[in-house]
Amino acid sequence: MIQIKINGENILVEDGTPLIKAAEAAGFKVPSLCYNDELGHFTSCMLCLVKDGENGRLFPSCSVPATEGMSIITDDQEIREARLTGLELLLSEHVGDCQAPCQVTCPAHMDIPQMNRLIAAGKFKEALRVVKKDIALPSVLGRICPAPCEGACHRGTVDSSVSICLLKRFVGDENDLHPFDALPLNGKKVAIIGAGPAGLAAAFYIQLNGYQTVLYDKELAPGGLLRTNIDPEVLPVAVLDRDISAILSTGVLFIGDTAIDKSLFQQISTQFDAVVIATGAIVDELRDWGFLTHAKGIDAERNSYETSMKGVFAIGNTLRFSRMSVRPIGQGKEVAWSVKQYLSGEEPRGEPRLFNSRFGRLFQDEISEYLKESVLSGKVISNDIISKGYTQEEAMLEAKRCLHCDCRDIENCKLRDLSGKYNANQRRYAGNVRKLMTKHFAHSIVYEPLKCIKCGICVRLTSKYQEKYGFSYIGRGFDVQIGVPFNETLEAGLAETAEKVAQACPTGALTVKD
Amino acid sequence: MIDLSKIDRTIAEKGSTKTALIPILQAIQREYNYLPEDALRRVSETTDINPAEIIGVASFYSQFRLAPVGEHIVRVCVGTACHVKGAGLVYDSLRRAFNLKEGQNTDQERKYTIEKVSCLGCCTLAPVVQIDQVTYGHVTSDKAADIIKDFESIKDKKGKNLFRKGDGTEIQGEIRIGLGSCCVASGSSDIKDAVEQTINQTGLHVKLKSVGCVGMCHQVPLVEIVPTKGEPTLYSKVKPEDIQQIVTSHFQPVGRFSRLKNKFWNAIENIQTDQQWKGIERYELNIREKQVSSFLGKQFPIATEHRGMINPLDIEEYKQHGGFLALKKVFSEFTPEQVIDKIKISGIRGRGGAGFPTGIKWELVARQESAIKYLICNGDEGDPGAFMDRMLLESYPYRVIEGMIIAAFAVNSSEGYFYIRAEYPLAVTRIREALAICRNNNLIGNNILGSGFNFNVQIYEGAGAFVCGEETALIQSIEGNRGFPHLRPPFPAVKGVFGLPTLVNNTETFAQISFIMRDTVDRFTRIGTETSKGTKVFALAGKVARGGLIEVPMGMTIRQIVEEIGGGIANGRQFKAVQIGGPSGGCIPATLQDTPIDYESLTSLGAMMGSGGLIVLDDTDCMVDIARFFLSFTQDESCGKCTFCRVGTKRMLDIMDNLTSGKGQPGDLEKLETLAEWTGKGSLCGLGRTAPNPILSTLKYFREEYEAHLQGICPTGKCPELIKYSINDDCIGCTLCVQRCPVEAIPFLPHQKHVINTDLCIKCDACRQVCPVDAVVVK
Repeated sequence: MIQIKINGENILVEDGTPLIKAAEAAGFKVPSLCYNDELGHFTSCMLCLVKDGENGRLFPSCSVPATEGMSIITDDQEIREARLTGLELLLSEHVGDCQAPCQVTCPAHMDIPQMNRLIAAGKFKEALRVVKKDIALPSVLGRICPAPCEGACHRGTVDSSVSICLLKRFVGDENDLHPFDALPLNGKKVAIIGAGPAGLAAAFYIQLNGYQTVLYDKELAPGGLLRTNIDPEVLPVAVLDRDISAILSTGVLFIGDTAIDKSLFQQISTQFDAVVIATGAIVDELRDWGFLTHAKGIDAERNSYETSMKGVFAIGNTLRFSRMSVRPIGQGKEVAWSVKQYLSGEEPRGEPRLFNSRFGRLFQDEISEYLKESVLSGKVISNDIISKGYTQEEAMLEAKRCLHCDCRDIENCKLRDLSGKYNANQRRYAGNVRKLMTKHFAHSIVYEPLKCIKCGICVRLTSKYQEKYGFSYIGRGFDVQIGVPFNETLEAGLAETAEKVAQACPTGALTVKD
Repeated sequence: MIDLSKIDRTIAEKGSTKTALIPILQAIQREYNYLPEDALRRVSETTDINPAEIIGVASFYSQFRLAPVGEHIVRVCVGTACHVKGAGLVYDSLRRAFNLKEGQNTDQERKYTIEKVSCLGCCTLAPVVQIDQVTYGHVTSDKAADIIKDFESIKDKKGKNLFRKGDGTEIQGEIRIGLGSCCVASGSSDIKDAVEQTINQTGLHVKLKSVGCVGMCHQVPLVEIVPTKGEPTLYSKVKPEDIQQIVTSHFQPVGRFSRLKNKFWNAIENIQTDQQWKGIERYELNIREKQVSSFLGKQFPIATEHRGMINPLDIEEYKQHGGFLALKKVFSEFTPEQVIDKIKISGIRGRGGAGFPTGIKWELVARQESAIKYLICNGDEGDPGAFMDRMLLESYPYRVIEGMIIAAFAVNSSEGYFYIRAEYPLAVTRIREALAICRNNNLIGNNILGSGFNFNVQIYEGAGAFVCGEETALIQSIEGNRGFPHLRPPFPAVKGVFGLPTLVNNTETFAQISFIMRDTVDRFTRIGTETSKGTKVFALAGKVARGGLIEVPMGMTIRQIVEEIGGGIANGRQFKAVQIGGPSGGCIPATLQDTPIDYESLTSLGAMMGSGGLIVLDDTDCMVDIARFFLSFTQDESCGKCTFCRVGTKRMLDIMDNLTSGKGQPGDLEKLETLAEWTGKGSLCGLGRTAPNPILSTLKYFREEYEAHLQGICPTGKCPELIKYSINDDCIGCTLCVQRCPVEAIPFLPHQKHVINTDLCIKCDACRQVCPVDAVVVK
């Protein structure tokens, strides 16, 4: 054993331990994309840069063994900037979407591709679970949402976008009630003032977290503008009631016909552990209640929605007017995170926002690559779809048109994880020319070369496991690619090691298909 | 189908382990001009090398081609010297001449394939184009058609006739002909043939001698006549048809009959060719003349000692000039430790660029306990615009070998490698012959000169990767891998070739060793500055009047080199800057020309010694373009292993491309600086770490030019997308430009002022070059 110093702490390690491992063992996690426990170091990604405590020089900690008396620093402003720059350079040539563009665009960030895949597979109940994770009123939104998601849909570049909104309506209409069990009540209470789309959504998600939610509204029935301002031809009352009853059935208490004024509000805020204001645009009144406001609405923190009063949050048109109901519905979901954080004694931060790689529009030459995972048929449409919605068969056919733009590695991608941690900006070093994306399928895996960061793990693995062809670096420098030698197929290249390399790949370049 | 038995024979000859891979691929390419897939599959089937390794290596080194090529290869040198003299325009004009579409490199008839090469090492003949083995110098963009035509006319002719040499029984003197690559490229082998022919026909008893590079590459081909009595005379820029007059004006044929025959033959020749020789004065270049003496006089040859006097391969002559004395002295008087001490005292630092103290490196290797230690002479000189190593290997092979043997003795290495880049075939041939001669003379092999010391040397030809100049990448390459560098430590001195201790020194470093050891060390330490001892060889090229290979004492100023040795700027232009150190170096402005050349001074100015390219720039050179040029070189040569170099250099280049094409955005310069900072700090090896230097140094000294490019203005009119061609009132309506214009952008209007249609103009510069009255204006 030898003694080294990491961030000022004296640490005993085995002589020759790679510094990245020594630091990790001492509780200082150093990021890396190209280090692999089975293969050792390769010094490619350079994200593991640490600082020599003696001379201040940066060096990759994966490739330097610990020696007696060494002193290193694993984190400071300069090191963070180095890693951030490295990440941003990698992202500048990383062509691919993390979440699909539809999901990124959706104000409620619903997992649309997953819903589509479940519908396509006939798993309608599971599809509803996916929808309701983010959208509390699917049948309602399925009829009134202007569907910004469809504007972002890559399928639109091919022929016409997937009818996401109608599919969501189908999922909502097809199923009974809500598919979730609320957590057992934990004794804390949350008041929600205003039972419009924002308040309803907030009540639903807060209640699911085990808080007794009380939903106040000045009207007799919940629904807010949804009930009063929308043509029943478009949104039949029965549909609205059905979505609302699913929310209330989780245990939310609705108290209608109760207009909240300043004194009542003060009373509520002392009785409840947290309050969510979802009253709609009543700025002057709210100012009178003691909130800081601006011309368009109440002041609230962007991500947590916390107002100038501690433990009081504000969502929906109270913040600023929006024509899209999906926005307040999404905020209702997000504020539930803040409330939970607040009531757990944490700083309210809202829903965690993950990094999303985006590449913009599909090129014409990329369409065929994306169609490899889809069907050629055009949008499913008929005269009575608007009034009746999709049948099961129609919905499945339409859902199959989805291109699977979302990355399969979304949960395990180290690049995404680190990009989020270091708050990387993918566009900072954007290049002049974007390369053309391709997708390759073999065995149980998918290979998307433009998501590759050239860490060489797959090349080294196929060599170690003695693939006949394996993967090779082809070319060099910026244009280097990972491919199978002699233009052999991916099947031939990864005859033995397909799953192994897919699991070891630190990004979504190589992923297991399903 | 290819003949697989040939492949099998190659493998049988080269071996079937990974170390044989690059030599096998080189042999296959020599046979087929590219690497046919069937051949590569055969290699993978019959050796221990797997397909991934084969393709990995074949696609890494730029020497290898994976697709078939045309019958003839046209290589356009785009080295620094050629670049500043318009190589880009020449390349474009050749592409037009071959009618190539974007992405195409071979013409329709599959007759010609065009390639860019980073340096052919004939910087003083810039711009240079090579078609197969024929080299064309001073090519301009309007001469594309001419050189193709010329090549067509000579390509089928068989090798030149060889004539019997003078037997030398009655030596009247010696005729020395430079056979360095510059001289050869400029036609010295034709000169040699002409001399042989003359000697043969006249029966003169003169000795014809091939000598290495004299360094006066701006005057090639050079012929020196050294009579037994009297002063030697040096002729420059000699043409083959001049030879007979030159020779016969110095030497009288011996017998009466020969003299008559000579006269008769001469008369016939003149009738046949109707060509009178234009007189020798024009070419005569006496060594005592001011020009030449200042070119050579300020220099201090150590690595290039006895330049222009000794035949590169004549070992006896090398010995007569003190060759191998140092080695003998080492064997008889010193222990290895004493040798290392002397090297340490001498203060010599690595001549490859970074300037690491040589003695300390040797000591580190010497200290390693290992039965086998390797020694490598690094001749992988890849800088565009540098050809010192090539010249030393071609002209002074024994001096380099002697330095290597001494080093091997000092560190106790028994196995040596010459790593020479494949673009230097002449150097490879010379070293191969020199090694054979050394073996015969007991200078290489076992029990060298009876000392009991064994040292074997083999040649390893690089395959075209600048990064392999970096020692860890070089070692990877010797082991048969892609030239990926790795982090040091471990240093090669501890863990090098095949994991064993390895000494890697630059060619020039080895070439200085015998000088240090032959005499007292202070003979060496007296030369140079406090921290930079001895001399440095530079390839002086660019806009200087007299370019060439120079060896100067450390501490000489840039001004002295440019003005006194280089003869100032050519064509009366203004001295603007020097680019020192190639792609790792930087630009030093004329205002700092009194800076002495030593490791520390150059580094402090943002340049570096590098391997010794020294390109002089004048007021017509665009500094943004120069910086972009170097960056595009390093970007292209990046191995791609680490993020900062692979992507960082590319993103910097994107910005430079935007700046030079008028697409710069506010904030670009700051972004460039950030990228430069992190590429420098974050890259794995020296290539990436120094890649930003050309950008940073030009940003530092010429920021206003960058600012102008941001506004869409190229102040020197060099960046094609930012300039327009027009014709001013000086035009005499001669239509020469009209005839030269490849895109008919100038209407045919004889005797009228010509007009350029800027929509059609492709800015090939042909009109400007051909205009007899300089009426073509670039703005």
